[in-house]
Amino acid sequence: MSKLNRPAALRLHNLQVSYTQNGRPVPVLGKLSLALGQGEIVSLLGESGSGKSTIAKAMTGLLPPSAAIGGGELIVGDGAAVDLTVNGVPWSKLRGRKIGLLFQDAQQALNPLLTVRAHFRESLRFHRLASSAKEADGIGARLLAQLRFSDPTAMLDRYPFQLSGGMCQRVCLALSLSLKPAVLIADEPTSALDTVSQKEVLDLLRRVREEHGVAILLVTHDIAVANAVSDRIIVLNRGVIEEEGEARAVLSRPQAAYTRKLIASRSRIADAPRRSDEMPTASEPVLEIGRLDKSFHKRPVLRQLDLTLHRGDIVGILGQSGCGKSTLARCIAGLERPDGGRILYRGTDVVRLRGRARREICRHIQLVFQDARASLNPRRTAVQLVQEPLRYLRIGSRREREALARFYLNEAGIADELQERRPPQLSTGQCQRIAIARALILQPDVLICDEAVSALDMSVQAQILALLQRLHRQFGFAMIMISHDVRVLRSFCHSIAVMNEGSFCEVKPAEALHLESRQPYTRLLLQCAGELEAGLG
Amino acid sequence: MNMNKLAYNSNRPALSLLAGLALLGLLAVAILGAPWLAPHDPLKQQASERLEKPSLQHPLGTDRFGRDVLSRALHGGQSTLLASLTALAAALAIGLLVGLLAGMFHGSALDAALMRLIDVLLAFPFMVLAMLVAALFGTGLVHLLLAVVSVWWVSFARLARSAALHAKSETSYAAARVLGASSASLLLRELLPKALGPSLVLATFELGSLILSVAALSFLGLGSQPPAPEWGSMLADGRDHFLQAPHILLGPALFIVLTVLAFNLIGEGLRDRLDPYEKSDV
Amino acid sequence: MRRLIVRKLLEALVTLLGATLILFVLVRLAPGDPVKLLLGSGTDVALSDTQLLDRKSAELREELGLNENVAAQYASWLKRLLQADLGSSIYTGRAVGEELAERLAATFALSVSALAVQVGLGMFLGTASALKAGKLADNVIRLACVTLASTPAFVIGLALLSLFAVTLGAYEISSEASPGRLWLPAATLGLLGAAQFARFVRAQLLSELGRTYVLSTLARGLDRRHVVRHALRNALLPLVTMIALSLTALIGGAVVIESVFSWPGIGKYALDGIMLKDYPVIQGYAIVMISLVVLIHFVVEVAYGFLDPRIAGKDKAEAL
Repeated sequence: MSKLNRPAALRLHNLQVSYTQNGRPVPVLGKLSLALGQGEIVSLLGESGSGKSTIAKAMTGLLPPSAAIGGGELIVGDGAAVDLTVNGVPWSKLRGRKIGLLFQDAQQALNPLLTVRAHFRESLRFHRLASSAKEADGIGARLLAQLRFSDPTAMLDRYPFQLSGGMCQRVCLALSLSLKPAVLIADEPTSALDTVSQKEVLDLLRRVREEHGVAILLVTHDIAVANAVSDRIIVLNRGVIEEEGEARAVLSRPQAAYTRKLIASRSRIADAPRRSDEMPTASEPVLEIGRLDKSFHKRPVLRQLDLTLHRGDIVGILGQSGCGKSTLARCIAGLERPDGGRILYRGTDVVRLRGRARREICRHIQLVFQDARASLNPRRTAVQLVQEPLRYLRIGSRREREALARFYLNEAGIADELQERRPPQLSTGQCQRIAIARALILQPDVLICDEAVSALDMSVQAQILALLQRLHRQFGFAMIMISHDVRVLRSFCHSIAVMNEGSFCEVKPAEALHLESRQPYTRLLLQCAGELEAGLG
Repeated sequence: MNMNKLAYNSNRPALSLLAGLALLGLLAVAILGAPWLAPHDPLKQQASERLEKPSLQHPLGTDRFGRDVLSRALHGGQSTLLASLTALAAALAIGLLVGLLAGMFHGSALDAALMRLIDVLLAFPFMVLAMLVAALFGTGLVHLLLAVVSVWWVSFARLARSAALHAKSETSYAAARVLGASSASLLLRELLPKALGPSLVLATFELGSLILSVAALSFLGLGSQPPAPEWGSMLADGRDHFLQAPHILLGPALFIVLTVLAFNLIGEGLRDRLDPYEKSDV
Repeated sequence: MRRLIVRKLLEALVTLLGATLILFVLVRLAPGDPVKLLLGSGTDVALSDTQLLDRKSAELREELGLNENVAAQYASWLKRLLQADLGSSIYTGRAVGEELAERLAATFALSVSALAVQVGLGMFLGTASALKAGKLADNVIRLACVTLASTPAFVIGLALLSLFAVTLGAYEISSEASPGRLWLPAATLGLLGAAQFARFVRAQLLSELGRTYVLSTLARGLDRRHVVRHALRNALLPLVTMIALSLTALIGGAVVIESVFSWPGIGKYALDGIMLKDYPVIQGYAIVMISLVVLIHFVVEVAYGFLDPRIAGKDKAEAL
């Protein structure tokens, strides 16, 4: 595809941005330049803190007031160069019409009190792309149909709270497209979505590029996402471009050390050597779940679910959002009471237990949450946090508790110097380590990890998974690993249970899953994951 | 610069908090130090100096008995503030307890019953209740404050319940439950700390509101009665002579304004710093 | 939707019942003979004839059911309430219900016009303050509002009264409820209410302006005006509650202003009643006020159901 004769869709020169924190300016981007060819899809790949979102916001004039632009020039298509440091930039002409912006949390990006129809009418009539409400409705319905909504007219009358995350993102995409921008910036459009929805949105982005000729700048931290759709990749690290080039080339023959590190972490997760230890021989089951039922507001979430867990097992539960996997985790951990069925821990039905007796079971079944920071009280130090369960269950003297806490923190990789710090002073990965140490201090027989690594950067994900592997070998607990991402589960678990609509549609040993599965749903999941990774070395 | 100017940068120093605390500090010193700072004896009547305008000798003038208004105001502050703070402490304590319990056991019969009770008590506008009590049980500050506390705790209870419900939806609460915390532990270590912040903010605003309401009632003749040097009774005194000698009324009114202003400023400053959750359910 | 209305109506009725119960208990707790309370001690009214007083006492005792047990008394009292029988004023001898009805219009006129001033001025100041958050205009408005909100109502009232009536001679001092005399008390109440309301509007609006959909609307190229309009509309929900609460506060708190300006509303009526120890008047006033509050709360809850599609939608989803 020769780009020589066609003007770039977008060019950014020497962007410099700093934020004011505690009165002092902290530089985030230093003289960054990039360009987007017409109809090109470019991924801006970087971990959190790399400045990728800042670039997106700077290009649309939506930085927060605490930011300062030290320099930067923006040229869209064949328009005039826009100096980003002066006031008076004609944002109304640029935003929406020339540059569209998709947000990470699509549901929050829609006005909760307006229908989809109202959103369309407002945008189109403001930009004079529709002269009447009916015309706007027509444009909206057409775009929704293009984006594979089965009943566009009904969709127009929905409110955001009635739509799922994936649907909201497609609505936002339709809204952006209705203004016919030349460039679309998608800021982490799929990170809040599960595998199937992710692939849907990415496929649509490709179609959109083909049918509308829009150039797309895709901001993401996920290599697989970048791999699935990009023509070119720009690798960003702490406000500096480490490497850029054709997607295939960057991913298979990375030049920069940072790029190699990123790719390596993904491999550590997805292609880790198959488990070397034997699957534990059948011992007495630690956890037996039988015919578990749970409904919310008359809608069934868990249907007659069965699962057996033996000592030392690592079972993965693979499912998309809404399948009920979190509800299952909560039922086992005692946060929800199932409507029917039983959960036997070493023969005792914990569903029937109340009060003190149930709290005793907490010593044996523990849970690590997805949002590590939210699960820790920000006012307590790491040592205090890890001791909490001992305090709650009145185990040990004060000195014993502290000693145990420090021991487990060390095992989890939190060195002595960090143990007096509080969560706001620690990274997300470190917070999750503290949460894991806290869960293990009770020496449980069962550890449930509910999407415990999904919110982490790729490199940190790999570290935490390695940590869990080591601790599992060391302490011998059984683990239930819940994730929507098959790459995480494939190398980590002995067996994987695929969950769909409240029950398991199949349970298989991990290696066998993609080879032998005949279940249509499983094949769909694997196919999506596979396509996302096609071609990754 | 091209920023989203609509977003508010809240990393600003809490000017209101500092100003409010400074003002309150000044007032506290003046009022607590009344026995030493007041220029005259608040109860001493001097017929020769009746209804004098503010002067150097009597900075806020004298009332109809020749008593120095400034001295009376300074001394009076002690009883007003003491009474108000006591009532506040009682209402806050009861409200927190009830609200947290209701939130903790949300969805149970206890919660429903408490909510009904709260609704019923909320049906009594403050003024109406105060007037009722005054009519039925006689005027006087003590009666008034008892009536106040018996209805006032409801505002705090509603807020505490709201804060508790919000805290219960957070992951750290679920984590505490999984880690084996008992109901008492959950209440004390998870819910109470999260409810205290917003409760304190509300308390400062409500305290100001209470002082104003008591002042209004005293002005109407239903609150504290003369001759006690209390702001309310001074207002009642000053009402009759308002046109000839407005300073009798305005003296205590000035102190009231400054005190309530101090509490309001503190409240605003606290609220900005604590960044409370926004949407509380009706 | 209908289920919501029915549920809220039932709740309102239960609340009303509970409130009347408390009122009943309060009155019974008061020291003194209830008959004496309701008839007067005989020295200040036209019942100086002891024989007449005794006969009236006996009649009233029978009527009130004081010879029966407490529960029956409550029941008969409740029955009379439902028939809108609020007793008779000791002082004037007329039915309290009638006298209240006459004065209710005056209080409503005052409260509603004050509310209009409060909401209008408050929205304006609060919005201006929020949009210029952190700048000089914002700080000036905030300081003015917080100072005004810290001032007792009667101080402002007396000040304005002496200014306009005495100094300027532009306001008539009387006890009439004439339209020409409405503006000053309404302005006073409205001004004070606006100060409080503006602070609330500012906080709500700032909170909305920080939400993602504001950013995304801007990103679609719409200008500030549109965005602010959306934010205001979305911030309106809690404002509706605030407005309703203000109304109840205004109706209850108008007592002071009615007193200062001699405005013949129900507040002043009750106040006079207290001074004269006219207990039926006080009790009637309390009942009317409580009923108004419960009614306003009920309307707000239902209005919320209409305004917030999430609440309305939930009901629909459940019904499906």
